[in-house]
Amino acid sequence: MQIRLAHCLMLFVLGLPACAVAQGLSHWPDAGMRSGFEAADVGPYKDADAARFLTQATFGPTLEDIAHLRAVGYRNWLNEQFAAPVATQVPYLNWVEGLPPNPDGNNTVNDHTRMETWSINSVGTPDPSRGMVIPTDQLRQRMAFALSEIFVVSSKNGTLTYEPWALASYYDMLAANAFGNYRDLLEDVTLHPAMGIYLTHLANQKANTTLNIRPDENYAREVLQLFSIGLAQLNTDGSPVLVGGQPVPTYSQATVTGFAAVFTGWNWNNTGCGPTTYVCCDENNYSNCGRYDHNIPSWKLPMQPVEAFHDSTSNKQLLDYPGVALPGGVLAAGGDATAELNAALDNIFEHPNVGPFIARRLIQRLVTSNPSAAYIQRVASAFNNNGSGVRGDLKAVLRAILLDSEARYGPWQYPSIFGKLREPLLKNTQLWRAMEARTETGRVETLSPYPGIEDWYGQGPLRSPSVFNFFQPDYRQSGEISSLALYSPEFQILTDSNIVSTNNRLFSLSFCFYSEGESCWTNGHGAVMKLNTVRDAALANSNPGALLDRYSLLLMSGQMSPFMHQTLLNRLNTLDEEPNRPLSRQRIQHALYLILNSPEYSIQK
Amino acid sequence: MSLNRRRFLRHSLTALGGASLYSAFGNMRALAAAASHTTFPAGDFKALVCIFLNGGNDSFNSVVPYSASQYADYRSSRSVLIANGGVAFDQATIQANALSPLAVQPGLPGGPPSDGGSYGLHPALAEMRQLFNTGKVAIVGNVGTLLHPVTQAEYQAGTVAVPPQLFSHSDQSIYWQSSRPDDANANGWGGRMADRLYTGNTGTVPLCISLAENNLFQRGDIVSSYGMSPEGVEKLSYLGDGPESWVIPPNEDGFAAYNALLAADTQEHVFERSFANSTRNSIANYEVVDAALSAAAPLATAFPDTRMGSQLKMAARLIQVRAALGMSRQIFYVSQGAYDTHNNQVDDQQWNFSQLSQALKAFYDATVELGVASSVTTFTASDFGRSLGVNVDGTDHGWGGHHFVMGGAVRGQRFYGAMPSLRYDNNPDETGFGQIIPTTSVDQYAATMAAWFGLSATEIADIFPSLSEFNQANLRFLG
Repeated sequence: MQIRLAHCLMLFVLGLPACAVAQGLSHWPDAGMRSGFEAADVGPYKDADAARFLTQATFGPTLEDIAHLRAVGYRNWLNEQFAAPVATQVPYLNWVEGLPPNPDGNNTVNDHTRMETWSINSVGTPDPSRGMVIPTDQLRQRMAFALSEIFVVSSKNGTLTYEPWALASYYDMLAANAFGNYRDLLEDVTLHPAMGIYLTHLANQKANTTLNIRPDENYAREVLQLFSIGLAQLNTDGSPVLVGGQPVPTYSQATVTGFAAVFTGWNWNNTGCGPTTYVCCDENNYSNCGRYDHNIPSWKLPMQPVEAFHDSTSNKQLLDYPGVALPGGVLAAGGDATAELNAALDNIFEHPNVGPFIARRLIQRLVTSNPSAAYIQRVASAFNNNGSGVRGDLKAVLRAILLDSEARYGPWQYPSIFGKLREPLLKNTQLWRAMEARTETGRVETLSPYPGIEDWYGQGPLRSPSVFNFFQPDYRQSGEISSLALYSPEFQILTDSNIVSTNNRLFSLSFCFYSEGESCWTNGHGAVMKLNTVRDAALANSNPGALLDRYSLLLMSGQMSPFMHQTLLNRLNTLDEEPNRPLSRQRIQHALYLILNSPEYSIQK
Repeated sequence: MSLNRRRFLRHSLTALGGASLYSAFGNMRALAAAASHTTFPAGDFKALVCIFLNGGNDSFNSVVPYSASQYADYRSSRSVLIANGGVAFDQATIQANALSPLAVQPGLPGGPPSDGGSYGLHPALAEMRQLFNTGKVAIVGNVGTLLHPVTQAEYQAGTVAVPPQLFSHSDQSIYWQSSRPDDANANGWGGRMADRLYTGNTGTVPLCISLAENNLFQRGDIVSSYGMSPEGVEKLSYLGDGPESWVIPPNEDGFAAYNALLAADTQEHVFERSFANSTRNSIANYEVVDAALSAAAPLATAFPDTRMGSQLKMAARLIQVRAALGMSRQIFYVSQGAYDTHNNQVDDQQWNFSQLSQALKAFYDATVELGVASSVTTFTASDFGRSLGVNVDGTDHGWGGHHFVMGGAVRGQRFYGAMPSLRYDNNPDETGFGQIIPTTSVDQYAATMAAWFGLSATEIADIFPSLSEFNQANLRFLG
């Protein structure tokens, strides 16, 4: 059935598409037809719909997950995921530390070890530290990754480079809070020593007028700007509040000074400290206490206060907004460090910006770079009230994001702008999940190439160049995207050199490592991720068109255009059987490489 | 017109509200027509190099007074010496690293520091000091983002507009790079210069080349930048000339398929088109750059083996091959971080500055080797200066700060602009929270370089619309 585009675009009934996009011989994605009258959270009714949902909610669909989601439906799947056992990183580091040393040095725990456990938990491969259990908490891990791109700490910080336990513990904290409440998350982020080191509020101290020392403003500023409310007052739909045509700042320097004074007196957790271990933090030992080794409790437990260094004597200007609990937003002097921290985090948490601020960022991470105001409003409303009067419930936020009509029908509603540029790391994980990649031993070295993965992709887990993440929510690619006033965060790392290095890394993953062997020189010790090319060999031999349909489903949610399908099919049909290169494997490898680096696939829609 | 092309246009217009796309292209055409520069005459070559110090450099610990009264003011803010765990230099250290500015040349700006004090450089900036004292480096005092000149009283009363979101990294980096605090969506001043000059280059490689991150500074309406690794060009393995091309047999049909998917203007989705355009541009540019670099002799000048050294070495090599690239004008962007020294400032600044200073010296030497020292001007920029006040072993976000300009065309060995008081109490030059109010705007700093780079007064007024707010449109530190 052919429908003229001009007749059907932008016609919606109750926010649902009134008709679907036509298909032809052009580069239109093969969107298929949909009645558009079912509720967004019912379904999925097609494998392609299931794959789309799983692309947003996980590190990539698998054939098994597509079948399971179709069997149980969106809502049950979410409830299963909310209850799935939590996969963590710190125990993996401990397990590796307990292995006998080996000449290759890969039983020494460092940031590569953290990449291993990130890969195992995110891709969902057998975990050798747990008897080859396969982690199944995809939604939690995907949310933790999204949170790690908002609440940024990074091993690029000199102090944290050699602290894999601290960073693993931080990531575990994000995962633990992924389905919890934002207020708890904010407190755990604030008090984690990795954040305390990264934004320098660990061992921050009250003003000293003799020495002209003032509290450090670093965390005070960034917790407001990047983790909670942003710089300008927002309406619930994420648009700026305008007064006289101008945006209204959410805070002033006086506010930053106030929060900086709140965040004084916090230092290393004293668990395990003592004469035979490491110096306890107290009034007499404030600057030279705490850590001495990498794997100690104080790198993993919340910071603790030393009251003598907390500013308990000044009134502190905090955020002032309609309905603020503190009169004028001022926290009166006298509280201890914990009481003041709680009051200040409550003061942030209740600010009306938090809902739309967090909603837009999470939608951008999971679904689309340019959510409509109405979509942001619906998600922000779920943040403000989960339906039972609870504010900040991240389960409700995730349901609102993933089951929204725009998430489910966006490509039909906004066919030329909906979606996002796929992050290179997520291309990588999606490939491995789609192709059931495994290593021989369970150990994973493939996310630790030389140089580091962030030098290939422009990103790596907890390896941002700064607290502003690899890319920023308001980045606009120059050219057409900028002319249209659209946002395109991930394009910020699509630099000329990253285009080549990402592409070449995906080339390696496609052509070098496969279940029957490997084509490139490696020294992988059984820790190389190999694609399961055996699974698709028969299909590749007998019906390369059907092979492409399978990859369109797994990688592109069935959105491969007829043009692209034909172009790839032509390529696969001109390949020849060669010594040590069976035709089936060549077809699989070329198909995967060409898809992973194509414009159509590169935009998640 | 093919069916695909028609569909693309109709679809774009329908879905995106019609006029926006056409008007955007229309503006570009108008600007392209306004680009006045035909090919530059042979020998007319100039390059600008932006050194962005990510995080906000504490320039009050980079250019430090040692004369009694100014040093006392400095110590009132930074009272704890480095030896005692603070950030303050002792007087003797600064005096041992003294700068020897030239006297004022009648009728021209530039000379000793405006406050009559004597200054030295951070000891790790030894090579910069040598370049200053031999006339190759100038210091521009207290530069920052401004919409209009503003006094302390005006700032505190809020009677004069100041750039939005002062002291925020992201915003102030944007305004340093755009010089448009009146417009959060403006593009970069390097890019706007390139928009007006690019027709003078005969080659296809963009006038703006980044050896570091994607940046706003080099973004124009027409011209976008080319970003390359300081280590050189890498090619795509799938297309036959990359690091792992040997893994697969000859692949001509693969090239054809790959290129068919990337073909111009065939993608229906805005983001897909942008991805395809970026990829095609990257491939086209690396081929040209690689051919030029491969044919060039190695530089004799040795560069330090640091990230900063690699970036500036590649800039020097791209200057070396300018003729092969068909480039009479080049704008480079290199960057260094982390200067956000809330703590551990003493060690971090020492580390950063020694790398910076050594690399800049090598770069200057390379321009001498290439015979273009007077055609290449290098300048620093940063998010902001830092606060006078100290939090034990670090400093917080500030506003104005001092900057360096280097090159054979620089009227060096001089201070320009005004040196602010560094006093802790009753300081008329600060906001009230310890941040120094700039007395020279980024507009003035940038426009001075734009004039040297060959932009006309009309073009400069166009690129820097707020420049007329300030009483000195050219600081005369160049030429």
